[in-house]
Amino acid sequence: MTADKALESILGHERAATLRAALDRMIPGDDYPSACGAGVDAYLARQLAGDLADKVDTYGAGLNGLNSDAEIRFGRDFAGLTPEQQDDVLETFQGGSGAQFVGMLAAHAAEGYYGDPGNCGNRDCAAWAMVGFDQRWTVGEGEADS
Amino acid sequence: MSEYDAIVIGAGAAGGIVACVLAEAGRRVLLLERGRPYDYADIPRDHLRNHRLPLYGQGMGPDRQGNPRVIVEPDGTVRTLDSPHLGGYHNNAAGVGGGTRVYGAQAWRFLETDFRMASTYGVPQGSSLADWPIGYADLEPFYERAEWEIGCSGDGAANAFQGPRRRGYPMPPVVMNPGGAALKAGADRLGWNTFPVPLLINTAEYNGRPACARCNLCVGFACPSESKNGTHNTVIPRAVATENCTLVTRAMAERIDTDPRGNVTGVTYLTEEDGSIRRHTVRAKTVVASAGAIESARLLLNSASPIHPNGLGNANDLVGRNLQGHYYPTAHGFMPEPVNDNLGPGVSIATCQHSHGNPGVIGGAMLANDFIETPIFFWRSALPPGAPKWGQANKRWMRENYRRWVEVKGPVQEIPNPESRVTVDPSVRDRFGLPVARLSGTAHPETLRTAEYIREKAVEWLSAAGAENIWSREMTLRLSADQHQAGTCRMGRDPQTSVVDPWGRVHGHDNLFVVDGSIHVTNGGFNPVLTIMALAFRSGEHIARL
Repeated sequence: MTADKALESILGHERAATLRAALDRMIPGDDYPSACGAGVDAYLARQLAGDLADKVDTYGAGLNGLNSDAEIRFGRDFAGLTPEQQDDVLETFQGGSGAQFVGMLAAHAAEGYYGDPGNCGNRDCAAWAMVGFDQRWTVGEGEADS
Repeated sequence: MSEYDAIVIGAGAAGGIVACVLAEAGRRVLLLERGRPYDYADIPRDHLRNHRLPLYGQGMGPDRQGNPRVIVEPDGTVRTLDSPHLGGYHNNAAGVGGGTRVYGAQAWRFLETDFRMASTYGVPQGSSLADWPIGYADLEPFYERAEWEIGCSGDGAANAFQGPRRRGYPMPPVVMNPGGAALKAGADRLGWNTFPVPLLINTAEYNGRPACARCNLCVGFACPSESKNGTHNTVIPRAVATENCTLVTRAMAERIDTDPRGNVTGVTYLTEEDGSIRRHTVRAKTVVASAGAIESARLLLNSASPIHPNGLGNANDLVGRNLQGHYYPTAHGFMPEPVNDNLGPGVSIATCQHSHGNPGVIGGAMLANDFIETPIFFWRSALPPGAPKWGQANKRWMRENYRRWVEVKGPVQEIPNPESRVTVDPSVRDRFGLPVARLSGTAHPETLRTAEYIREKAVEWLSAAGAENIWSREMTLRLSADQHQAGTCRMGRDPQTSVVDPWGRVHGHDNLFVVDGSIHVTNGGFNPVLTIMALAFRSGEHIARL
């Protein structure tokens, strides 16, 4: 199953889109990929079906919270906002009832992005190229792409 | 008739050595290990599941299922931790080699004063601080044995504070890296003596295995070139090669058996075969518990009998008390230029300038830089409080700082607290139905005071080295044990105040020994493994003479 479909089957279509948009604000793209550009959505899809299965409800509630704040403030769902509006919603949510959720989202995004590609994120070891971590000892030749 | 001369429980740092010394002396040894044997490929290079950062699991045992522990928090909250990788479990790796399979391999001799803490500093109220019944000189020949037989690199002449040594190290020290060089310059400015960190890592071919390949996943992981020396690739193969030692893995000691008169007769251990549990009772002349400070105490307590209703060696309610480890005050700094060269191990420079003689506090700590760490470890530990945890600012911070990061940290010599302890839980059982370890209490407040003093010294060192944006986290009072766990069956001459005699023999028994970190009276201001190994060589030789 692709990461998109796996996330959708766990969280539903709308929340999966919200999650991908929020992850890409946790780690935005520049000359190195964004969170989802490096596979962090695939990382979370696998974790929410495994080690983080007990966090599915927390994710559902947090993502609903982001969407309802987005609707109230900008009249659109979170994924439909501009990056600046998304950051605004995230910061406001973090300053209120969503502090724990946004903290968790940031931590999980970092795990997927900076962890090893064997966990489905950090595609092509892009994050390690960015920070300057030598990939050789973690991934054998070719493993980074699998 | 006994089937074995000795049964050694636990194939870690101590047990592997005791088994080897006995087997090479011609004794028939059964070495029991609850974990599995591991090949290099069995221990994953997973950055989220390793013994340095066990976020969702770890590379070695104990198994995730069926090995809970119970933790009593300082506020009285009781938690059952279902898996050994969880924070607060105070795990030490289980498997052949134990923690030595995945450790950082820092190989410290304690200082002479470390064996005389009570007479040097007095005994603070509420602590059980005591001198060791043996001194540095008693252990010196065995430190040397550990350094040469396990295989240690270092500069034997460079530490101005060390006790006398007959011999240097068999291998030269690790190469100084850029972060270490910056710290060296800083220490020179401060007038502090520094020297390369001694490591049980090959810097040249030794014992038939190559020099360190300088990979960047050292502490918490298995070694790709088998250049990190543990008991799994030295003394345990030697023991097995004698054909006098039988190693049985996935074997959980249920109890140390005693006869109706209370004398130790052997061990009953459990294995799982085809989903069912099989019980094996084996007789031996001598039994040695080397399961680590938490599990050795648990085993003695779980071996109660009508003659020993409170557990073996526990007539005076001492088994499991004085649990200690190391507070690690840590300072983070960032050099103006990149200093992380991605070449392991990374830990390269240390000072014993603040191990003792610190005004107003008891003891101190060795301070050193640290291993090359993974980027996710860096994200979780080095990000200053209040810094953005997400967004472009966080990404930029990661990009700009990973290779500029320098850490200074040190293991604080803890002041034992008898209320920091291991008991066995009255209701929670493991997969074999055995009562699990229950950990309660906290470190002594004096430990916290020393840790705060040392934290300031770590900051001072980084500052003198020219680091920027230095920060460190304040220490709080909590239980301390983890992989440096020690003290639960302390050594002494008086059975009223100690569990084992100066050889590790349990008071009141002729043939029951504890040999591991449990018997440390105090745990030094150092990584304790070389002391555990030296004690194991010493006790092993003693038992072989019996």
